[in-house]
Amino acid sequence: MTAVDPTTRLDVLEPVAHPVDDDRRGPSALGWVPRAAVWAFLAWAVLLYPGNIASPFQVAAFDANRMSEAVIFAIIGLSLNVLIGYAGQVSLGHQAFVGIGAFTSAYVVTDLTQEVVLGVLVAALVGAVQSVLLGLVSLRLTGLYFALVTLVYGVMAQQSIFAIEAFTGGTAGKAAARPTGFESDHRYYYFALMFLVGVLALDWRLLRTKGGRAILALRENPRVAQTWGIDTKAYTLFAFAVAGLFAGIGGGLLAHRDLQVVANPFDFNLALVFVLMTTVGGLRNRTGVVLGSMFFAFLRNGYLVEKLRLAGPLELIDLSPEFAPLVIGPILLLVVLTRLPGGFGQLARPWQEWLAGRRFRWVPAEEEVTINDVRA
Amino acid sequence: MLAVTGTDLLQSLVIGVVNGAVYALIALGLVLVYRSSGIFNFAQAEFGTVAVYGAYFSFTYWGFPYVVAALFGVVCGIAAALATERFVIRPLSQGPKVTLLVATAGIALLSIGVAFWRTGDNALRFFDPLTQWEGARIAGVQVSGQRLLTLLLLLVAVALLTAFFRSPYGLAVLAASQDADASALVGLDVNRISMLVWGIAGTLGAFAGILLQGGNAFTPGAITSLALIPGFTAAVIGGLTSLPGAVLGGMVIGMLESFGRLSTFDVVPGASSVSVFVVLLLVLMIRPEGLLGGRTAT
Amino acid sequence: MSVPEPSAPVLQTSAVSIRFGGVQALADVDLRADRWEIVGIIGPNGAGKTTLFNCITGFYEATSGRVHFKGEDVTDLPVHERAARGMGRTFQNVGLVKGSTVGENLKSAQHLQVRYGPLGALFGSTKASEIEAQAEERARHILDLVDLGHLWGTRVAGLPYGIQKRLEIAAVLATDPELLLLDEPGSGLGPEEADELGDFLVDIRERFQLTIVLIDHHVPLVTRISDYMYCLNLGEVLCEGQPEDVRNHPDVVRAYLGLSPEEVA
Repeated sequence: MTAVDPTTRLDVLEPVAHPVDDDRRGPSALGWVPRAAVWAFLAWAVLLYPGNIASPFQVAAFDANRMSEAVIFAIIGLSLNVLIGYAGQVSLGHQAFVGIGAFTSAYVVTDLTQEVVLGVLVAALVGAVQSVLLGLVSLRLTGLYFALVTLVYGVMAQQSIFAIEAFTGGTAGKAAARPTGFESDHRYYYFALMFLVGVLALDWRLLRTKGGRAILALRENPRVAQTWGIDTKAYTLFAFAVAGLFAGIGGGLLAHRDLQVVANPFDFNLALVFVLMTTVGGLRNRTGVVLGSMFFAFLRNGYLVEKLRLAGPLELIDLSPEFAPLVIGPILLLVVLTRLPGGFGQLARPWQEWLAGRRFRWVPAEEEVTINDVRA
Repeated sequence: MLAVTGTDLLQSLVIGVVNGAVYALIALGLVLVYRSSGIFNFAQAEFGTVAVYGAYFSFTYWGFPYVVAALFGVVCGIAAALATERFVIRPLSQGPKVTLLVATAGIALLSIGVAFWRTGDNALRFFDPLTQWEGARIAGVQVSGQRLLTLLLLLVAVALLTAFFRSPYGLAVLAASQDADASALVGLDVNRISMLVWGIAGTLGAFAGILLQGGNAFTPGAITSLALIPGFTAAVIGGLTSLPGAVLGGMVIGMLESFGRLSTFDVVPGASSVSVFVVLLLVLMIRPEGLLGGRTAT
Repeated sequence: MSVPEPSAPVLQTSAVSIRFGGVQALADVDLRADRWEIVGIIGPNGAGKTTLFNCITGFYEATSGRVHFKGEDVTDLPVHERAARGMGRTFQNVGLVKGSTVGENLKSAQHLQVRYGPLGALFGSTKASEIEAQAEERARHILDLVDLGHLWGTRVAGLPYGIQKRLEIAAVLATDPELLLLDEPGSGLGPEEADELGDFLVDIRERFQLTIVLIDHHVPLVTRISDYMYCLNLGEVLCEGQPEDVRNHPDVVRAYLGLSPEEVA
């Protein structure tokens, strides 16, 4: 198609002038001062602090590594958000999506001696393909059955696909070197961050273009979507492709962060953590998903508990930091599901409004529209 | 393995049925909850783990007599199921089914987390088998008393549930599952019915757990990792709404595993999980209503 | 796409029948809508009017019979491909994506007008952004047409029913249809509002050169604006013809529970 767009009969319409919304006017110059300060702090915390640049603190290599993991989890959370949030398909086998990405990238880099960037991109591609294959199954099933299929698929992948020696190196695992120039833990953080920025941009574009709108429409009301000319099957698969793409990237990055990929960590518990962090973060809320994923990444192995010096208080109830996430995580999930449907994203919303130059105000969660009986 | 003899086949059959009984118990609980409220309960097997831990603690630390401890474990499993219904399922009953699914998965994870919290990581626990009776030899296979007890319990459970669904109260459960609002209008207490269903599901899960783990070492989440997926697959094979279907499905999965071990298929890594996945897919693609189910999955 | 014969009716169903289990929901329904016509369908509840729409748009597969659209046999096409050929429809219970904003709905509805690949758009092309800008402009214009321009950023779910109904027509218009199938657009409206709706439909027919098939219980409304009218009862065409004749036909009056013609009015 060469022409930008053929004129449709809709172009006979005339524009009408509308008054400008009052709330659209920004704050005064003075109002921008605290906002700019917070912006500057956020930029420093994300861009400079982890690399010990212009920072009075010394971030240890171990801590930088944890930050990389948080960034990677954010990518995985965004992947699951596309599936659960946008397309309405629950994946309880996302550890397999991520794991396949990890082993693919390690294979490309170690066995085929290619660049890490290429490895991660191949992982993204392979992730998209396997995701679409699973998506084909979803076309014939309702949501609940599909969730069960993904659960079994994930366990199967862990026990079977990840046990293929040639692909994964068996129980010893497969080496996955860091990219040139990003060998140190501090630098690798920036490598992962670049990918997160890319994924965020893609996700942002997705919702602002045809494909994303089609996916959102078909999740809530497939019948209406069809009458608008949306091929619901094709766009469901498109959602799977995007989710697989993101998961593959996340897996590849995880592999090179760990330097050695083994199959063991990609178990069902990890799949549950992924679902947890995305839901607690707040489905269909980009900021919330990123925050939720990072939170759960830091919570792993009690890292956050130690950092916040909460190990002592938890000791009182006999809860060791190591197991704290296993107790705190599900409780947070149940609280979010029953009391705070918007998750972390809902809590962050007033701050986002404020930072964007509007008033600081609480925005109530949008209730999910459920179509139980679409009478056509 | 060079050749498979008739005896091997027979033995595999017996082992399959015996192992399948536990899956069938889990599947029955899943079917019950799905039938009454359309929910996939990912915490079903975890009720069994709760029962195992309850029995273990009351026996080892609090010095309960053995039988009392086992029964206490079952009560713990039921309590977990009832708490799940009251504090998670009921507040979310108007929400999307997918939310409920995530919530039950959260319950399972919470239960596993609490077990880790109380017992630590690699601490393997051990609870004596329910019976020291050595059992019987069937077709050259030594079947322990514990296993025979499981089979017996399965039969009792199926008989009781079948009778229950013919009773007025059982019919009320079915009515409530068809149309909760209408049932409330004609005076059925939908909440009590829901409690009852989850209570029964908890009982089934608890017994499955105690019977499966008695005599074996266990770690947190033991029953979930051992029996959740086979139980679910069994329920789906049986059609998810059919009680006899769940039992049949349990047996099919049990045999699939035991025959899988016989064949040379064994050289494929994770053979049994691959075969479960393939069977699940085949059933869902070819006969989504299951072998004995009435309604379709799509 | 096959080239339509110029003389072919926009919509023609030939002997469309459908059974659900033992129930004959539609029996040999022949319906025809010519270019720029407004065709009304009336009939008591359960007559099979919406079922007929579902057969025409492809949600139901007719047990027998054919559906022709602009001379092309579309009986075996899926819903979205019929939409792509210019069929638009509304639903009894408001066919909108209620969790999204008004503006999003109107942009989503232009799915077929927005002609770029979804994957290419992800990585951003200037062409895509140009088309997006056009789509947004068109969406705003259509919204102004139904006097809802001020609701651009509002979430649909919170809007009153009447507004949603209007918005739904706007969304279908955004799909750039040639044939508009309206399922009870007047439900919940008072007589005066129904009158306004009638004027509006006549207006958009001219403006967008539409053919309209309309189901409604407001018999006076349907009678006034239709060029041709059908009455369905128990899955069959009870009678058809000029609107006034159909409305006063004794069988039709009887079908509406034995009311006299005046009461039907």
